[in-house]
Amino acid sequence: MIPGLKWALLGVLVAGCVGYLVYSASGGSSEYYLTVSELRAHATSGDVRVAGVVQNDLQRSNGGLHVQFTEKDGTASIPVEYSGTLPDIFQPGITVVAEGRLGADGIFHARAVLAKCPSRFATTPYTQ
Amino acid sequence: MSVPLRDYAIHTVIGYLGAGTLLAGLVMGGFATLLSFWAGWRENAAFVQVGRRAFYASAAMIVLASLLLEVGLLSHDFSLAYVTEHSDLSTPWPLVAAAFYGGQEGSLLYWALVLALLGSASLVASSRLGLRLAAYAAGILAAIETFLLVVLVLVASPFDLLAITPPDGLGLNPVLRDGGMLIHPPVVLAGFASFAIPFSFAVAALLAGRSDAAWIAHTRRFALMAWALQSTGLVLGMWWAYHVLGWGGYWGWDPVENVALMPWLATTAYLHSSQVQERRGRLRAWNFSLVILAFLLVVFGTFIVRSGVVPSVHTFAVSAIGPWFFGFLFVCLVFSIGLLAFRSGSLASTSRPAPTVSRESAFVLQNLLLIGVIAVVFWGTVLPLVSGLFGQERVVGAPYYERAAGPLFVVLLALMAAGPLLPWRHAGAPLLQSLRWPLAAAGIVLAALLVAGVRSLPALLAIPLAAAAGTTCIAEYARMGFRLRRSGQGLAHAAAVIVRKRRRYGAYLAHLGMVVLVVGVAGSHFWQQERVVALSPGEQVTIAGYTLTYTGADQRQLADHTELVGAMRLGDQTLEPARATYAGLGGQSLTHAAISSTPIADVYVVLVGLNDDGSASFQIFVNPLVIWIWAGGAIIILGVILGNVGERRRAFEHQVAPSASPQPA
Repeated sequence: MIPGLKWALLGVLVAGCVGYLVYSASGGSSEYYLTVSELRAHATSGDVRVAGVVQNDLQRSNGGLHVQFTEKDGTASIPVEYSGTLPDIFQPGITVVAEGRLGADGIFHARAVLAKCPSRFATTPYTQ
Repeated sequence: MSVPLRDYAIHTVIGYLGAGTLLAGLVMGGFATLLSFWAGWRENAAFVQVGRRAFYASAAMIVLASLLLEVGLLSHDFSLAYVTEHSDLSTPWPLVAAAFYGGQEGSLLYWALVLALLGSASLVASSRLGLRLAAYAAGILAAIETFLLVVLVLVASPFDLLAITPPDGLGLNPVLRDGGMLIHPPVVLAGFASFAIPFSFAVAALLAGRSDAAWIAHTRRFALMAWALQSTGLVLGMWWAYHVLGWGGYWGWDPVENVALMPWLATTAYLHSSQVQERRGRLRAWNFSLVILAFLLVVFGTFIVRSGVVPSVHTFAVSAIGPWFFGFLFVCLVFSIGLLAFRSGSLASTSRPAPTVSRESAFVLQNLLLIGVIAVVFWGTVLPLVSGLFGQERVVGAPYYERAAGPLFVVLLALMAAGPLLPWRHAGAPLLQSLRWPLAAAGIVLAALLVAGVRSLPALLAIPLAAAAGTTCIAEYARMGFRLRRSGQGLAHAAAVIVRKRRRYGAYLAHLGMVVLVVGVAGSHFWQQERVVALSPGEQVTIAGYTLTYTGADQRQLADHTELVGAMRLGDQTLEPARATYAGLGGQSLTHAAISSTPIADVYVVLVGLNDDGSASFQIFVNPLVIWIWAGGAIIILGVILGNVGERRRAFEHQVAPSASPQPA
């Protein structure tokens, strides 16, 4: 037997498995990462992540658990509706990434809202 | 500590001195690089010595610069831009001191400092490796150090002066005002920085045309230290995310976490495969490649974190150093691959190949699987970049990593159970017989899970396999005890044998810690329960058998923030989840989750807010077995320490019968 052939075969086998796992897993769960204007430009009904700046029209109901706000970037804006807890640094003016889908009602129904959190290396984010 | 310097003359001194010191370090570093390579090539012993001393001199300059920056921080020298941006008069002094590595420029200087100290330590006894190897290692270390100093001097100097000295600094973000910030970043950074030592000696060995295991033996402790620091850093990061960020979890597959995980995986692979070369003289090219991969992943991680090329919940300090690290990554990549290809002919193994079922094969398979996990994580991390080049940017979340890496982790667990029982060269005892205890443990746990009504396939695979892997480690200890018992020697003697073979038994302890950690991760991953409720005072809620009663809210005014506390009673304990609001920071709020930990489960309560009708909203998690993640991390570190304290240098461990005279520890 050629030396190393056994290991090479094992390597090919593992690589094949990993390739299959990556292919099957990313096919099912990758999402588009868009800005608000990109979502506006070509609306999809699938799961997407939308990044934008929170506007000063935050409305809370149901004990602060249900929120509605507008996400904006440069030109386009979109109303976002979300139930659940918000990140600590969530407030008008910060950039958030909303995960969810655009409903037929024109409202973005978010499953999760992530805030861009200050990096442990970053300068303090307050520049007002 | 908090008396600011007022004298302008003294003020700017630190800035000028620091910048001058860095420049001197850069000159010495460049000199050490060129001289070491030249003297190594000409095999001039005297100049090799001079090159090494130039590295020590450069290291001394970096130590001095670090001390100066620390003095600048602690004396509140706000003439320095770095001090102004990362501290203020009200911050407690330990956090001010920690700002040394809290900002970008300082963290680079800290990296250079770790490299300077450990690099010097690794060079002290390097001359017996042979003139060329030692000289080239000094040259590579000095080259990396010089690169860091170039960036520190030209692009990201921590000693830049402000035109006008402000009366106070900007301070730290409250999320970062936590004890965890004192230890997590320096440990992670030190873990990354210290892997430059094995890399330097590996590349030096390749350059010198040496394919023996001398470089592995020489840098084994540095590799282990790098691994232990990276492990500690990862666990501390999880601990910090869990206790401070208040989202109920500890790992989010964010790019920042991913780039810290990948070098750890590569280092783990290397620690196992290097044993094959030390014992059997095989896998030479593979070990070189792994060390190079681990170092490249560290540089890649720094580039990702600094350049902001992938979307993350962390806002990166996008800065001018991104392109520098990209260039450095490119040079390292081309140089390493070219060198490997150039030397590939001389790296063939000298000993006979091992049979298919052996310890060696288990290590090879483990290595391939770990590389597979790295590939999965790498693809998930760079997908936004790659897809962005060909169309709309795409991202993957936690489900991708769980589906793609989960099966690989399960096979790795199975290997942890079987691998240590396999003999090195030829099959001794029949495999099934040596596997009987782990198999029995797995069977019992599987049956118990089925009886308890667990039907999730991942849980039914992961937890029995973890039990098997744990049994393997414990059985190794028990076997030693029984064998010595039978031969009429006492347990004290068994302890002495374990101390003598502590490298092996330390490794088993680290394995056991990993199993404990896996159990914690599996428990909290498969059985986490979450509920969001609104409660009026006196009302109670039951989740997963835990009954919580809301007793009332309280508003507290503290020095720089107000705190809203919603008290909950759990049994005879009072939990006080709170929400702090920092008026000075534009009303930013900070969650203080209340956590009640037991070995069975954590009850994790987050106060969402107060409502108009007097009720309060809470998010409540029950996270089973989380405490075992931290315990497992501690056991891993204990294993690494016990396995290596006072160990004498010995490339081979002989299988000898226990000697009659116990040796002192």
